[in-house]
Amino acid sequence: FSSMFQSIAGKANLEKSDLEPALKALKDRLMTKNVTAMEEALVRILTPRRSIDILRDVHAAKEQRKPYVVVFVGVNGVGKSTNLAKVAYWLLEHDVKVMMAACDTFRSGAVEQLRTHARRLEIPIFEKGYEKDPAVVAKEAIQEASRNGSDVVLVDTAGRMQDNEPLMRALSKLIYLNNPDLVLFVGEALVGNDAVDQLSKFNQKLADLSTSPTPRLIDGILLTKFDTIDDKVGAALSMVYISGAPVMFVGCGQSYTDLKKLNVKSIVKTLLK
Amino acid sequence: MVLAQLGGSISRALQQMSNATIIDEKVLNDCLNEITRALLQSDVQFKLVRDMQTNIKKIVNLDDLAAGHNKRRIIQQAVFNELCKILDPGKPAFAPKKGKASVVMFVGLQGSGKTTTCTKYAFYHQKKGWKPALVCADTFRAGAFDQLKQNATKAKIPFYGSYMESDPVKIAVEGVDRFRKENCDLIIVDTSGRHKQEAALFEEMRQVSEATKPDLVIFVMDSSIGQAAFDQAQAFKQSVAVGAVIITKMDGHAKGGGALSAVAATKSPVIFIGTGEHMDEFEVFDVKPFVSRLLGMGDISGFMDK
Ligand SMILES: Nc1nc2c(ncn2[C@@H]2O[C@H](COP(=O)(O)OP(=O)(O)OP(=O)(O)O)[C@@H](O)[C@H]2O)c(=O)[nH]1
Ligand SMILES: Nc1nc2c(ncn2[C@@H]2O[C@H](COP(=O)(O)OP(=O)(O)OP(=O)(O)O)[C@@H](O)[C@H]2O)c(=O)[nH]1
Ligand SMILES: [Mg+2]
Ligand SMILES: [Mg+2]
Repeated sequence: FSSMFQSIAGKANLEKSDLEPALKALKDRLMTKNVTAMEEALVRILTPRRSIDILRDVHAAKEQRKPYVVVFVGVNGVGKSTNLAKVAYWLLEHDVKVMMAACDTFRSGAVEQLRTHARRLEIPIFEKGYEKDPAVVAKEAIQEASRNGSDVVLVDTAGRMQDNEPLMRALSKLIYLNNPDLVLFVGEALVGNDAVDQLSKFNQKLADLSTSPTPRLIDGILLTKFDTIDDKVGAALSMVYISGAPVMFVGCGQSYTDLKKLNVKSIVKTLLK
Repeated sequence: MVLAQLGGSISRALQQMSNATIIDEKVLNDCLNEITRALLQSDVQFKLVRDMQTNIKKIVNLDDLAAGHNKRRIIQQAVFNELCKILDPGKPAFAPKKGKASVVMFVGLQGSGKTTTCTKYAFYHQKKGWKPALVCADTFRAGAFDQLKQNATKAKIPFYGSYMESDPVKIAVEGVDRFRKENCDLIIVDTSGRHKQEAALFEEMRQVSEATKPDLVIFVMDSSIGQAAFDQAQAFKQSVAVGAVIITKMDGHAKGGGALSAVAATKSPVIFIGTGEHMDEFEVFDVKPFVSRLLGMGDISGFMDK
């Protein structure tokens, strides 16, 4: 029945109404069976093709004596810095040594924001203030992490619009220069039809503007503000479905513990409600 | 600006209708369906779009119309008026007066652009000869005071805040009092981001409002917001007296349909839009030119104030 879903694959944003015809067909077919079968089918379709096990990869990097580097990217105000701090907390819980790199050298208060989180979590932070080239700050941070024996470096970057060419070029440079282990796209669940454009343009720009013949793209997604949308899970779904990149974490609040794994099952339940 | 894209598809729909020699029920329906689709893709709330469609159908009674060129004109005007109606709640926002102290409080969802917009708003008025001041009543977000302080310093605008105090109500009251004494005529209070699902956060906002008695509460909304826009905006309106809306990040790709939802939900006009991260990337919002641009209409004079 995957062909039924072809029709919605090209859609900018997936909402309940989009799924309805497909669901109806599916329902008819499964009428003789049971609802669980339908749920299972949707879950399978929405489960990303790739999966990443951060903790396993962190340990592998550690064996090779090099820090595992995660770069957080995304448009303005979606929750990059806050959720970077949540990921730091999560890593600490798993006995991983974490360091932060303050590479948003543009937005007022960005460095102090990250510094505050580092202080609260009692972890080191590498910062060079404002107006420095973030690509270079990241490079120095990773060198510092190698020296001080950190297992992971979490790199914060400035928010930028996906169509802003100079800023996307700068991000591409940061990624090219530092070849991180994980490029994490941070998107907010509040977003509407722009969700897919954000994600696909970030990928496209990273590819087009890279000076490398084999450019790095988005490896995974962190979806924030899940606590603000009630049952309007369309954006979330579209991102998973269109990009094929796994949703590695879901942010569902403003404190350090508000970080979860995506529960595809419960999203499907919301859709079928 | 990307709004042109929405305008593009709407004007295409109208154009197609114009091309049809006779305008019957089907042509009208096709046209309205096309417009509906464009609006939904721009994140305008589903119910708003449906109501608009119903309204237009009510206004445009095909049987009642005489044959000839008038029909198109009437349909186009109906679409124009309906869009204006959504964006124009009827009464203008409170307008602060230069030289007379006004308190303006900024509220909105997390990360919508409040702090940035506070400075833009202050800077805009300062250039026009006002004496604005900024109060940071966000004691929650890490680095919030530093952010406001750095922005204010850049714009040479006096500011008030605290690294130690955790009660936003206390800071807000102290800041407003201080700047009243210093004869500032535009006292701007920045608050933390919040959402309707957390009652305690809304209660805190209500308290800040009660204590500072703002002359105007501005709801700041991100142009990329989806279908959650209406419910969130409405919830803010139910807790504090939202009197105006500012839509941010219009330099992005989003079509800003949430703006229509925010106006409908708060019954308050959009007064400014944010078009970039820098202090001067800020524009006055005006409904009719906005809608005519939305519809891709060059000459709008014929459609206005019929
Ligand atoms: N409700 C809710 N708020 C969140 C969540 N994640 C982040 N926030 C809030 O969203 C706002 C913006 O978060 P930041 O981390 O500063 O966002 P950012 O993407 O780093 O922003 P820029 O660096 O300015 O582009 C803050 O008020 C956060 O507390 C979440 O999962 N739920
Ligand atoms: N491109 C663009 N970015 C904007 C605009 N307005 C604000 N921003 C950016 O959006 C992000 C969030 O802005 P803030 O002013 O911190 O948002 P806030 O509502 O105060 O956030 P909280 O206090 O955490 O709720 C920052 O990166 C701003 O630079 C705009 O008009 N265009
Ligand atoms: Mg940030
Ligand atoms: Mg703020």
